[in-house]
Amino acid sequence: MLKHLYDTDCVTWSPQGKLFQVEYAMEAVKQGSICLGLKSSENVVLCSLKRQPSELAGYQEKQFKIDDHMAIAIAGLTADARVLCKYMRTECLEYKYTYESHHPVGRLVFKVAEKSQHKTQSGAKRPYGVGLLVAGIDPNGVHLFETCPSGNYYEYKCQAIGSRSQAARTYFESWFHLFEKSTLEQLILHGLSAIKKAIMEDEELNEKNVEVGILGKNQKFAHLNAQELKDYIAKLEGFNPNSQIQQE
Amino acid sequence: MIFNSEISGQQQHTTSPVVTGGSVIALVYNGGVIVGTDTLCSYGSMATFKNVQKIAQISKNTIYASSGEFSDFQQVVKELAKIDRSALQYDDGVHPSPKDYGNFLARLSYKKRCKINPLYLQNVIAGFHNGERYLGLVDIYGTYLESNFITTGFASYFCKAIIANYWNENCTLDQAKQVIRECFKVLFCRDCRAHDVIQLAYVDAQGAHIEEPERVETKWDFNGFKSRANEKLHTQ
Repeated sequence: MLKHLYDTDCVTWSPQGKLFQVEYAMEAVKQGSICLGLKSSENVVLCSLKRQPSELAGYQEKQFKIDDHMAIAIAGLTADARVLCKYMRTECLEYKYTYESHHPVGRLVFKVAEKSQHKTQSGAKRPYGVGLLVAGIDPNGVHLFETCPSGNYYEYKCQAIGSRSQAARTYFESWFHLFEKSTLEQLILHGLSAIKKAIMEDEELNEKNVEVGILGKNQKFAHLNAQELKDYIAKLEGFNPNSQIQQE
Repeated sequence: MIFNSEISGQQQHTTSPVVTGGSVIALVYNGGVIVGTDTLCSYGSMATFKNVQKIAQISKNTIYASSGEFSDFQQVVKELAKIDRSALQYDDGVHPSPKDYGNFLARLSYKKRCKINPLYLQNVIAGFHNGERYLGLVDIYGTYLESNFITTGFASYFCKAIIANYWNENCTLDQAKQVIRECFKVLFCRDCRAHDVIQLAYVDAQGAHIEEPERVETKWDFNGFKSRANEKLHTQ
């Protein structure tokens, strides 16, 4: 396929009905390090693997709090993610100022998706090169959304995006039927187990390169601190999802 | 939200109201909230429009009433209904709670007050959401209060004693209705811009119910009126 004939800008369709620039933007998301989210009836957990550009550098944060009831995990261009993060935070603040209540999650994701779509229909713009996992709680319940550079958004029970995320999704496919009734601790352990499937053989999970954020109906968004991460990673050894089935 | 006066550039300010509605009385009761108004809109001292519904249903579980300039009431109803309709646009089934409306109206009133062009109203938002009763007052300045009972206009002067003596927050719906009827009886006697036909509306777990207007009982056949024994005819 002579891709290069049709991939110069967003305003050119390919004969197969594709917008190549948008597809390339989605590739950028797949290059980012893995982040995943999973929810139960009460909680949402976001887990991500942080990259360290070099030995001298710190680890790149991947999860950002949008409001007490909402947070995102990013995969892709961090700079683009910051723009969307700022937009979401501003929208939440404005909503709170006007209505004194929390911005409905689905509605904000819709706004982000609209913003993203706008970038895919202009000759002078490029799509955002970042995918977001949006975790949030609102009167409609517990939510986990994924947004794409294309402007599509989807609601999930659990999802993983970024590099080697297929391994984590395979883990989810085996165990997601347990998540609805899982406790917060079980959710975190499932999330960490899924991430473990996605790391390289010579890498290991430790409290420095893993980031876990939790959100619940009675729990404002919070990151697990280094000690809690260490404890959970230690618990991974003895974690057996099968025992959860016996409980039910 | 842009008002016509701001578009045309001719800055006009509401300095005094033209067609006005009277007092609003709102109470919580055991199981919901109830709002009462009379059905009169006055043109100054003239009782012009005698059969006006001054309680509006904004959403399934929220009602709104206000005293003051009636055209502002109508405009506010439109603006609040707009918010509810946006739920259709976003397709997410999330409807604002009564508190959301109250806060929105407070923000709006404050904005207009800062431009010295207020919504000439004392607003009452009443609703029932997630098992909780809500009663909010927003005044002409944008002050926002939540309370168990609210009175606007002359009711604040004449009716608080009645409410204090005969109402508590866990009374039944019928008891609350009686208290409001009694209040409007007194208002009809004492407030020159009041009317003897009132309308009650209540919100409970089943939603909003706006009742048909009713006439308050008044008594005019006192002996003193009939015989006028104490009055002497003045002669030159």
